[in-house]
This record gives sequence, structure tokens and C-alpha cells, in this order.
Amino acid sequence: MEMKNFGDEIIMFAKRTKNLFPPIVKDCTYRLLVNKMTWVLIVILLLPCLFGIVLYNEFEDEREYEMQDGDKVYLFPDNNGNLVPLHIDLRENFVNQSDLFNISFVAIILAILFSSELINEEYTQKTMQLLRTTPIHSFEILLYRYIAGVLCMFGILGIYSIIFYLTTMMGSGQHGIIENLDVLLLILKVLLLESIAFMGIFCVFTIYFNRPFLIGIAYWIIWESIVSGQNYQKLTVTHYLNSILFDSTKEMSWDVVASDYSLVNSKNDIIATEPLTAVLIIVIIAIITLILGTRGLSNRQF
Amino acid sequence: MSIRLEQVTKNYGNVQGISNISLEIESGITGILGPNGAGKSTTMKIILGLSRPSRGIVRVDGNDPFTDWKLKRKFGFVPEYDCFYEHMSGLDYVAYFLRMHDVDKEEAEKIARKALSELGLDEAMERKINTYSRGMRQKTKVARATVFDPDILIMDEPFQGADPTTRGILMKKMAEWAEKGKTILISSHILNDVQSMTDNIMLINNGKMLAYGDRHEIRKLMDNIPRPISIVPLKKGNLRNLAKRMLDEKWTKSTTIDEDNNELTVETDQSEEVYMELPRILRNEKISVQRIYSEDDSLDSLYEKLVEGAQWK
Repeated sequence: MEMKNFGDEIIMFAKRTKNLFPPIVKDCTYRLLVNKMTWVLIVILLLPCLFGIVLYNEFEDEREYEMQDGDKVYLFPDNNGNLVPLHIDLRENFVNQSDLFNISFVAIILAILFSSELINEEYTQKTMQLLRTTPIHSFEILLYRYIAGVLCMFGILGIYSIIFYLTTMMGSGQHGIIENLDVLLLILKVLLLESIAFMGIFCVFTIYFNRPFLIGIAYWIIWESIVSGQNYQKLTVTHYLNSILFDSTKEMSWDVVASDYSLVNSKNDIIATEPLTAVLIIVIIAIITLILGTRGLSNRQF
Repeated sequence: MSIRLEQVTKNYGNVQGISNISLEIESGITGILGPNGAGKSTTMKIILGLSRPSRGIVRVDGNDPFTDWKLKRKFGFVPEYDCFYEHMSGLDYVAYFLRMHDVDKEEAEKIARKALSELGLDEAMERKINTYSRGMRQKTKVARATVFDPDILIMDEPFQGADPTTRGILMKKMAEWAEKGKTILISSHILNDVQSMTDNIMLINNGKMLAYGDRHEIRKLMDNIPRPISIVPLKKGNLRNLAKRMLDEKWTKSTTIDEDNNELTVETDQSEEVYMELPRILRNEKISVQRIYSEDDSLDSLYEKLVEGAQWK
């Protein structure tokens, strides 16, 4: 009987989506995109791209190249003095910089900022009280805000990654850009999964704590930065993102080892997680955070 | 559509919001009166399911408003404070909440436009809310709360910041909604506004309900508080004779003569007796009167007596 009721509720939620989803996502997206802090972060993100363009202009004329099947392949001398394709060096730069800069730093700040704007701001403006007096389930209140947050976060980081990829790889010419699109897709995949996990986690912080920004930063520094390189790293999202990066780069025949992604324990054993399992765990984390968030919203008193 | 509170208490940590309130509200207009911090908003929030009582039971149409989210379909809420998406236009704002009620986009816009227009916001509805005056904001709040035709309307200080025209429009609307059988709960500091709309009131102070029901009935319960009854004779010369005669009666506590207004005020704790006996006394004394009245069951008077701590039986 309860399962039937649950099924009925799911069908009802699905039917209501066409009326609830568009206005909520439209409003939330607008609020996130007109937020000044969002633009500060976008400017910070674009700095490495500018740096890439400067470097390109500096060294553009010094590159050597050879023709391969009608394509101009730019080359650079490796440590032994042998000429190797330049795009191999640049793609590693792209992945390392993405991992260090937008995956680890800006994405977290974006997730904290967005969850705060989407949930906390509604408490401050008291619009959440009005929503709680309308016939909309707390799950719907949270879910559509969460989706808007994930879309905006992934949209900003995704567009940035494409620009960063182009500005990094343009030194290796058209051949290098086309040859390494799978690397760009890998980064986009990781960013999507990261957005899915962290938006959920920070939404929960925003719902349960009065100072979500501080809690979020503390969580990132203590949990995701310190614990993620230790024996209990499987309790962090970073471990699963690194596992996906590690496995995918290995699949692409890159010269990488588990310790490059901190996927070893104190005994130096490899503790990487299978990529499919990692994706599943990230999705499960998101679902758990939505359930916890819904409970928090339902029980919140005004 | 009924609202029932049974011995409801709400504490905020060590601070008591409301204490042991029991009442049953039926359709029509009910006014909640009390000074700032009396517990009016807390009572409203508990009825709306925004807050859960620390003790006691709240039922709206037989259901718990805190846990039953579908029940919210029946609620329209006008909060005391501003709670807008300031970047939206009034039209978008009202339509947005209609969509939360699962109304299609086109339909929502049509209904929102009509509701705002009825409240006199034809020209302003397409403007952003952050450009609105206080009166416009108040109307937008009312439009948002009433646009989906709720069965229960809870309005916390709905006349706050409203100009006389807006106040008139809102009062007329409320009377219409009450006639349609809606349950309307209004809190207000402006006693005259409430008095002109309803006799059914709840008086609250320091989180405790002082009185609930028809204001005339409430006054009758307060027999131990002397009540002034004013008599205006046709001839000014009769004032002293009448005062002397009234002092002979055991129910007269005191008399006051106001020569300027040609008025005798009799203080009594048995007003029913006075109204029964007065015609006989006047006939015997051959005194004709213009008017007999008591303003003592006005809301102002009741409010003053109850909130200032006077007790009744």
C-alpha cells in the first residue's frame, strides 16, 4: 500500500514538473548569473586563458613542425633532445591545470556560492516561508534548485574548460586541438560529476547550518583537501573524481601512476576505485544529499 | 473549513511564544488583536504549518498543517514583512506562485493579470517589484495570496503601509471573500479597521489568549469591571435630578455629570439591570432622553481593559 502511495507521489511529481521546473530553474539561473561573486569567479577563471594567449603570442614563431598526412604537427624537444609532438605536452598541462585550478578550487567556491544563493538567500528574503505555504513538496523545492545549480555550475566550468582547452592547445595547431578532444571530454565529464556531488553536499550544509559558507570552506580544507590524500580518502568525493581521471588517462596510454592522483594509502598500496563504481557512488551521494536536504527543509521552522 | 488549536504552546528556547491557546475558527472574518510581541504572528505561523507547536494539537480541516504539504493548497498567506523576488515584475511574481500551484504558464499569466488589475495595479504590474511603493507591495502580496482562490486566508497586518484607497479596496475584497464562505484571519494594530469588518475577535497578550469570540459577548463576561452607560436627557435641567435618582439604585457605582455635553454617565457592574430598569425610572421621573449608549464594548475599550491586565469573571 505504501509502495503504491510512493509510486503515486512520484507520478504526481513527474506530472507537475512541466509547471514547476521551468519557472524555478529560470529564476534560479537568473539569480546565479546576476550575482556579482559569480562574475568575480568567472574573471578569476579566465586569467589562465589570458596567460595561455600571451604565451602563444610569445612563442608562436619559434615552433618547429612536420607534416603528417597533410596535417601540420608542431614539435618540441623533450628532456633527451628528441622532437616529440607539442600537443602531448600541452594536453598534460591542460589536465594538470584543470585539476589544480578549476576542479579543486573555483568549482568548490562556485558550489558554496550557488547553494548559498539558492537556499540561504531564500531564507534571508523570507521567500522560503511563502514557498512553504504553497502546495509544493520540500523535495520539489530542493530538487529544481539543485538542478539549476548543477546546470549553472557545469555550464560555467564547462564553457571555461572549452576556452581553456582552446587557449592551451592552440599552440599545437589544429591537429593538436582535434587530436586531444577526448581529453577535453574527460575534463567535462569530471566537472559534471563534481557539480552533481558538490552542489548536493553544499545544499545540505546550507539547509542545516546557519553559516554555510564557513562550514563549506572548512569541509573543503579539512575533508576534501587533507583527508583525500590519506587512508580514509574513500570517504571523500575527490577520491572518486581522481579515480576517474586516473583510469581515463591510463586508458589514453598516458604515462601516469596512481600516486600522481594521490590514489595510494600510507603503505603505498593503490586504492583507486573502478570508474563505473566511482560514478555510481557520486550519483548515490547526490541522491543521499537530496534526501537529507528534503528532510531538513521539511523540518525547518520559521 | 475549520481551524482548531488545542492547548497549543510554542517555546523558542527559553522564550515563550504562545501559551496554552485553544480555539476553533470557522468561516468568516476573525480578527487577532494584541500588542507587538503578543504572539499573533506565532499563532498564524502555527496555523500555516510554518512552525510546529512545542505542545498541543493544531488541525486545519482535520489535518496537521506542518506535515501535510497538500493542505497548503487551501492557504493564502499575506505576511507582515516583505518577501519578494525583487528582480521580478509584480505580474511575474504572482504568476510564479500560481505555477507553484501547478497552473499552466498562459493560464497563470492571465489569472495574475486579472488579480493585480482588480487591486488597481494595471500600470505597475509589468514593472520590477524593487520600484514599487509600500502600497503597491501590499497589494502585490494580497494578490499573490488570494489569486488561487484559497479557502483560508491568513493576513498578518494586511493594512500596514496601505493608503486609505488601498485600505478601502482591501476591506471590500475581504468582505466579498468572507461572503463566499472563506475563513479569514486578520491581525491588525488598527482596531477600527478590524471593528468595521468583524465582531469576531481573539485578544492576545504576552502569548496568552485573553479572550476569543464575539466582542459584545466578551464584554458581557467582564461584569466585574464597571461599565459606563451614558444618558443624554432632552432638558439640561434634568441632569442633577437624574443623577440623584440613579444613586438610589444599588447597581450604581458612581455618576458623572458632563454639563457641557448635557450628559450623565452611570458606572455600573450590572449593565443588564440598568437597561431593564432605566425606562421605568425615566417614566416615573418624567424625564425624556435623546440617547442612551455605551461605548464600552468598542474594540478600543476592550483592548485597553484586557491588554492592560484587567480581569473578568
